[in-house]
Amino acid sequence: MRQTPAAYPLTWRIMDGLEAFVAFAWPARLGAAIPWLMLAPALLLVGLLVIGLVQIGDVSFRTLDPSTYRMSENYTIANYQRAFTESLFATVATRSLLGALIVTVVTLVLAFPYTYLMVRTPNAMLRKLLLTALFLPFFIGQVVRAYGWLIILGNQGMVNEALGLVGVEPLRLLYNYPAVLFGLVQYMLPFAVLMLAPALSAIPEELEAAAESLGANWVRTFTHVVLPLARPGLVGAGLVVLTLSLTDFAMPAILGGGSQDFIANAIYDQFFRTSDQGLGSTLALLLVAAGSLLVGLVIALFGAGTLALSRVRR
Amino acid sequence: MTAPRSKSIVLWTFVISVLVLLSAPTIVVIGASFTSGNMIAFPPEGLSLKWYAKIAQATELWDAFLRSLYAAAICTIIAIPAGTLAGIALAKYPIRFATSVQMYLLLPFTIPLIGSGIGLMLVFGEARLLGQLWPVGVAVCVINLPFMIWAVSASAASLDPDLELAAANCGAPPLSTFIHVTIPGVMPGIISGSLLMFILALNEFLVSLLLVDARIVTLPVQIYNSIRSIITPDLAAVSVVFVACAVAAVFLLDRLVGLEIFLKSK
Repeated sequence: MRQTPAAYPLTWRIMDGLEAFVAFAWPARLGAAIPWLMLAPALLLVGLLVIGLVQIGDVSFRTLDPSTYRMSENYTIANYQRAFTESLFATVATRSLLGALIVTVVTLVLAFPYTYLMVRTPNAMLRKLLLTALFLPFFIGQVVRAYGWLIILGNQGMVNEALGLVGVEPLRLLYNYPAVLFGLVQYMLPFAVLMLAPALSAIPEELEAAAESLGANWVRTFTHVVLPLARPGLVGAGLVVLTLSLTDFAMPAILGGGSQDFIANAIYDQFFRTSDQGLGSTLALLLVAAGSLLVGLVIALFGAGTLALSRVRR
Repeated sequence: MTAPRSKSIVLWTFVISVLVLLSAPTIVVIGASFTSGNMIAFPPEGLSLKWYAKIAQATELWDAFLRSLYAAAICTIIAIPAGTLAGIALAKYPIRFATSVQMYLLLPFTIPLIGSGIGLMLVFGEARLLGQLWPVGVAVCVINLPFMIWAVSASAASLDPDLELAAANCGAPPLSTFIHVTIPGVMPGIISGSLLMFILALNEFLVSLLLVDARIVTLPVQIYNSIRSIITPDLAAVSVVFVACAVAAVFLLDRLVGLEIFLKSK
C-alpha cells in the first residue's frame, strides 16, 4: 500500500523520533527533576559569578610583593587593615556614599512626576513619547551619554559658548563633583521611572478622586494618598538607584576626570594602575558586602514585599 | 475630571525638565556629528557630512563595532535558551527552595557590576581565556541574565496552564506540547528579553573594559579611550551609530510587544 508523504510528513516522523528519545533519556519517574534540568544552564551561568566572588575572596587575603610583583602564597589580613586605615579609601567611600544618597533623592524627586504623568495621562501619544524618551537613553549606553555631556558642559562647550555670547567668563562645569552627580542622575532616571511605573499604575485613580471629593486639594491628596501608596515602589526604586550609583564607574571616570573617583574607580586603579590585585580584591569584596548590607537593611526595614518588586526589575 | 491649574503647572515643569535632561546628550551628539568645523562648538559652524566620511574609512572603529556586534550576538545566543528555560521553569513548576533559587538567579543584579566584572576577569584569567572575544559575550550574558529570565517568566505566568493540558489531552506528547504550545505562548517574553539582552550587550562598557585588551577593544571602550585624549567630532559620528541602534531597538520593542508592558503592575 502506497503511503502519501502528505499523510505522515517527515517533520512528524522527526518529532516522533525526538519524543521517543526524550521518553528514553528522561523516563517519567525522573519527572520531578525536569524543572531543575531547565534551570541548570542559568544556574551554571550565574555560578560563574559565584566562582568569581570566591576568587576575589581568595586574592583579597594575599599581598603584593613589590620586588617580584607576585602575589604572596600565604594569607594575611594586611589588605583589610590598609582598606580601613588609609585615609584615601575613607575619602573615596564617603564621596561615593554621599554622592549616591544625593543622586537617589534627586532622581526620585524628578522621576516621580514623570512616572505619574506617564501612567495617568489618557493621551496615548503622550505616553508613547514619554516612554520613548525614557528608553532611548537607556539603550544608548553610558559612554555616549557622558560624551554628550562633555560637549555640552566642556570649557568650549555649548553652555560656556552661550554664556560667552552674553559676556560671562567661561565656567568650569566639568571634572568636579556636581558634574558627576548630574551625569549620574541622568543615567539613573530611566531605572527609577521603570521601577516606579508598576507601583504607580497599581494605585486606583478612584482613590484620588475620592480624596478630592472629600475636600482635599491636590497637594493633600498627593501627600496623604498617592505618596503612602507608592512607598513600596519608591523604596524599591531608591534601593536600585542607590546601589547602582554607589558602584558606578563610567560617570566618575568621564565627567570627574580622575579627580572625583568613586569606589569602583579606586578598585579599577588598584588592578590596572598599581597592579595590586590583593588590595583591589579587598575593596571589591567590601563593596559587594556593603551592597548586600543595603539590600538586607531595606528588607529588614520595609519587609520582603519591596524586594518582590525589585526582584524582577533592576 | 480636570486637574487644577497649579497641579498641571508643577507636573509639567518637572516632566519637561526631565525630558530635556534625558534627551539633551542624544540631541547634542547628533547635532555635533554634522558640524563642519574642527572643534565641537555651539552654535554649529555649518553643516557637513565630513565626519561621517572620515569614520567610514576608520577601520579601527569599524572593527571595534563589529567586535561589539559579535559579543552581543554571543550573549543573546546563550541567553535565549538559558533564560527561556529558566523563566518557564520558575513560572510553571513548583520548585523546592523557589525563593532561594530566585535570590540566586538575581545575584547578577545584586552584585555590583565592578565586583562581577573583576570576578569574571579573575575566572577567565585563571582559565587562560582572556584576550578572546567570546568570553566577553558570556560575561555580558551573565550580568544581564535576570532581564531575560524576568521577561520570559512574566510571559509564562500569564499563560493559561489549561492550554498545555488541552494539548496533552488531545494526545500531544510532552515535547510537542512544549514546542507548539508553551514556546509560542511565551514568545513575547522571549522577543523582548532577547532584544534587551542584545542592546545592553552592545552598549556594555565596564565589563568590556575589564575583559578586553588593546587588540580586541569593543566600541564603547574605544570611545571611552578616545574621549580621554581629545574630543573631536568624529566620535560624535560614531556615537550616532549607537543612537541609531537604540532607535531601532525601541521601535522594534514597541512594534513587537509594545512599550506599555513596562507600565503594568503584576
